[in-house]
Amino acid sequence: MADPQIFQPIPKLRISDDLTRAAGVLQDMQSHGELGDFPNSPPALFGAGGPMLKRFDESAMTSRIGSQAATPPLSVKGIGNKVAKPDYSESKIVLAMVGLPARGKSYLSNKLMIYLKWLEYDVKVFNVGQLRRTRARQKAKQSGIKEDHTAQWFSHDNLSATESREKLAQDSLEMLIHWLKQGGNVGIHDATNSTRSRRASIEARVAKEKGFLLIFLESICDDPAIIAANVALKIRSGDPDYKDMSPEVAKRDFLRRITEYEKVYETITEPHLSYLRIVNVGSEVTMSRINGYLSSRIAFYLMNLHLKPRSIYLSRHGESQFNVEGKIGGDSLLSPRGLQYSEALPALVTDNIGNAPLTVWTSTLRRTIQTAESLPYPKLTWKSLDELDAGVCDGMTYEEIEQAYPEDFANRDDDKFNYRYRGGESYRDVVVRLEPVIMELERQENILIIGHQAILRCLYAYFHNFPQVDLPYIKIPLHTLIKLTPRAYGCDEERYALPIQAVDTHRPKPKAHQPTVQPSHARQYFTDVAEPIPIPKQTS
Amino acid sequence: MVAPLYTTASGLLFHAGKILVITVGLPARGKTHISRALERYLRWMGVKTQVVSLGDYRRKILGATQKVPPDYFTLGTTQSPETQQLRKKVSAGCEKLIWEFFEGGGQVVIYDANNGTKAARQTLAEKFDKAGIHVVMLETICDDKEIIENNIRSVKISSPDYRGWDPDKAVKDYYTRIRDHEKYYETVDERTWPYIRIINVGEKIMVNNIQGYLQSRIVFFLMNIHNRFRTIYFARSGQSLIEHSYKADSDLSPAGWEYAERLKEFVLERRAKTLKERGLNPQERKLVIWTSTHRRAHHTAWPFLATAQASNVVEGLPARSSPEPSSVGYTQAVTKISSPALNVKVVEKPQMLEINPGIWDGLSPEQAKKYYPEDWERFLKDPYSFRAPRAESYHDLSVRLEPILIELEKEQEDLLIIGHASVIRCMLAYLIGLPASEIPAIEIARGDLLEVVPASYGVHSQAFHFWDGPGRRGTADDDVPGKDAINFYENYAEDTKGKRKLDLEDGSTPEPMTLPGTNR
Repeated sequence: MADPQIFQPIPKLRISDDLTRAAGVLQDMQSHGELGDFPNSPPALFGAGGPMLKRFDESAMTSRIGSQAATPPLSVKGIGNKVAKPDYSESKIVLAMVGLPARGKSYLSNKLMIYLKWLEYDVKVFNVGQLRRTRARQKAKQSGIKEDHTAQWFSHDNLSATESREKLAQDSLEMLIHWLKQGGNVGIHDATNSTRSRRASIEARVAKEKGFLLIFLESICDDPAIIAANVALKIRSGDPDYKDMSPEVAKRDFLRRITEYEKVYETITEPHLSYLRIVNVGSEVTMSRINGYLSSRIAFYLMNLHLKPRSIYLSRHGESQFNVEGKIGGDSLLSPRGLQYSEALPALVTDNIGNAPLTVWTSTLRRTIQTAESLPYPKLTWKSLDELDAGVCDGMTYEEIEQAYPEDFANRDDDKFNYRYRGGESYRDVVVRLEPVIMELERQENILIIGHQAILRCLYAYFHNFPQVDLPYIKIPLHTLIKLTPRAYGCDEERYALPIQAVDTHRPKPKAHQPTVQPSHARQYFTDVAEPIPIPKQTS
Repeated sequence: MVAPLYTTASGLLFHAGKILVITVGLPARGKTHISRALERYLRWMGVKTQVVSLGDYRRKILGATQKVPPDYFTLGTTQSPETQQLRKKVSAGCEKLIWEFFEGGGQVVIYDANNGTKAARQTLAEKFDKAGIHVVMLETICDDKEIIENNIRSVKISSPDYRGWDPDKAVKDYYTRIRDHEKYYETVDERTWPYIRIINVGEKIMVNNIQGYLQSRIVFFLMNIHNRFRTIYFARSGQSLIEHSYKADSDLSPAGWEYAERLKEFVLERRAKTLKERGLNPQERKLVIWTSTHRRAHHTAWPFLATAQASNVVEGLPARSSPEPSSVGYTQAVTKISSPALNVKVVEKPQMLEINPGIWDGLSPEQAKKYYPEDWERFLKDPYSFRAPRAESYHDLSVRLEPILIELEKEQEDLLIIGHASVIRCMLAYLIGLPASEIPAIEIARGDLLEVVPASYGVHSQAFHFWDGPGRRGTADDDVPGKDAINFYENYAEDTKGKRKLDLEDGSTPEPMTLPGTNR
């Protein structure tokens, strides 16, 4: 306990008079009927629209508690404020992949990275194949020597190549550890790590770092169809390793590479390791020594993934009466044009999806339920899909807010993702609330979500791996159906705009670039060239 | 029924169909502990769930061990035909109970028995599989002798089977029983049925072919439970300037700040005592505080941070600099100050906000009744699932809190939850196992500290009264002492006036008791 001489318990007298005064103002307003006691309409209390909120805030503005210790936060003021990102600095995880080539390691790494980044963890994949290709390319540029990276190079009998591969994996791990120390949360070591000895060396290296957690993620696949698809994808997608080969030769070589790995492959049986083993993406999962909050979330997420082909359709509700009036929030019904959209939507969806099963999710707000009304599919209502709560600003127009609170308004534009409306939510709050929805989406097959602008921005950002800073400016126009089809390394996107006019509710970021959508389904074969590859220190 | 995400026409949740969870494991491997925890969780999610315990059923129809033939627990051929007959009768009776529960509309049965042989499991599983019921094997394996010994000493020998026995003799007898089972035990290696295998209380979990929403929820839940000793405290946030408005998000009132200070003192005192009784080193334990993102809640945690910082200074460590707050950007989502004296971490969680009153924000119950008479009637009829316009029902709140409950299970440190009445009600209902209909009526008075300690078959809970002052129980009633003339009322759902007081044990009585229905 603190020394009482220095740290007095807070005496009653020192509690700020301001707070008492604020309370007095309230009482005053109450007794004068200013809190509203209208005969037929309920009193509108703490909206930012009237003078009430301001008067109250002025009276309580400087209130502090009279302690000499930590300074308590300021009292409430205005219509909202920016909120700092949660502190994730304690999370330091090295996630090392284990698995033969073409078993979906990169797919899982990528998926996991997107999910965790969406939740604002700092995640980076360190792919040993990328590093190998980048270095070989550099070498070829500088010296003109082109290294041979055919299957022969991956044979364990090829001693010099084995040494090179060993070195690449080590360097990649060093880069990963260096990056974690710089503030990263989860570094994914995307390599085959297929032998006990390799895993033991990773374990020994990570053990030298205080507070680092090491988890192995093994992906096993014995479904020939999945492996064949992965191999085909590898050949087809322009892997530079097979640039100058015919597809048949490339395929043969790649299968030989797999055989070389199979010769030495040892599945994880080391009882002391923390690991997750996933068989055929989702059909069987083993978890060993998975402790800690983030690790178990990672495990749960991976458990819910599946590879069945499907599409996710996103649409905003039809134009609402509030949209027409330029008001935010509320629970208004559709405008006549919005009704037209709700009538036209079923044909558009049915034409697109044919006979495939589909489930429609809406929010609990009337404009989404109304939009979904004539869709001939099962419908579910989610409270979590309700629009971002604008708190005290609910029901106002942007102009009204700007007029009443010009400074606060500018603040929101300055950092929209982090800005929380007073008594309402920030985009971050919405992401947190949508996490269970994403989990359920991953498990489901064809889904159509009739949602709201901010909600769809958050979901869309997940599927396209958008950074938080761009998320609040993603364009999700009214009367447009967006179709997302997950692929191995991202999503394909199609947009169907119906020719029914609607107001534009998009507010671009003042003086800033617009994020452009780049469907990111291509695999990256090289590390960023802009980033110099650090020469790792030798550890001994 | 508490928090289903959505319901289906059949009344079953999650499109999951009916599920039979067959526990597999030697005696004293924690099967019952896991079964009960799972039952509590599933029921809270709104799934009609029942544990059918073979042991309980046997005791019910045959009486305690003394009345059971001596060869009852020696398996195999040495048993007399009469005893075999008796065993059959018991398991047939259990099966009947399972069928009855499914037929009565139940969705999940957890069959808590050893089920140690492949043949027996296969026969049982096939029977239910034929009826369209999904079968999941849940095997608990334990090779850590300490865990087994603890389990026997803390749970088994207090069972009615050993009433009146000398503890050491009972332990010895129980080991004999285990050894007899070991001879015939076959681990689940058949791939015919989906299975979950838990080794040493969660040290390792294996999952085979588990599919379906409810099944994966079950796995996620099992991944997160642990048996480390810890205490969970609940207290309400201090009184705020505008108690009755969710939107205003107002700061603490003078009484609220005073309350916050008193809460800190009381929690630290109480916790020190508990740790001492348990022989735990306070230096090695952290106190984690969860609050909502409303100012009244996280400002109530402020004195904890101030004290932690102060003890840093006393210890000669540099004080954490407090940047002068500007008009924006002052809210810290997480503030952590470690010191030898008090290791505290405060985390703000948006999911823990009080129930959203929607358009009833700021209205007193009288006003809500006056302006929305029809809605008010519906609210009174079903306060749990009624959703006022744009508001949340208690049901919505429970769904929102589900990730928090998983985190609560996972958390290993002592936890103080500074919450709003509605949030505390839902969380307590989960921990204690109260039916949903009772949630809105639980009284959570300001100035009471609720202490919940997870134990083998449920929780021990106690309530401590530490503060009297303005805003203790809502204020509309003039007769309530400590009525606050300034604050008018709380929002309709947070209101605590005239609610049912939870039958918690008063912490001021010396002998800790357990809640009815939560302990066996």
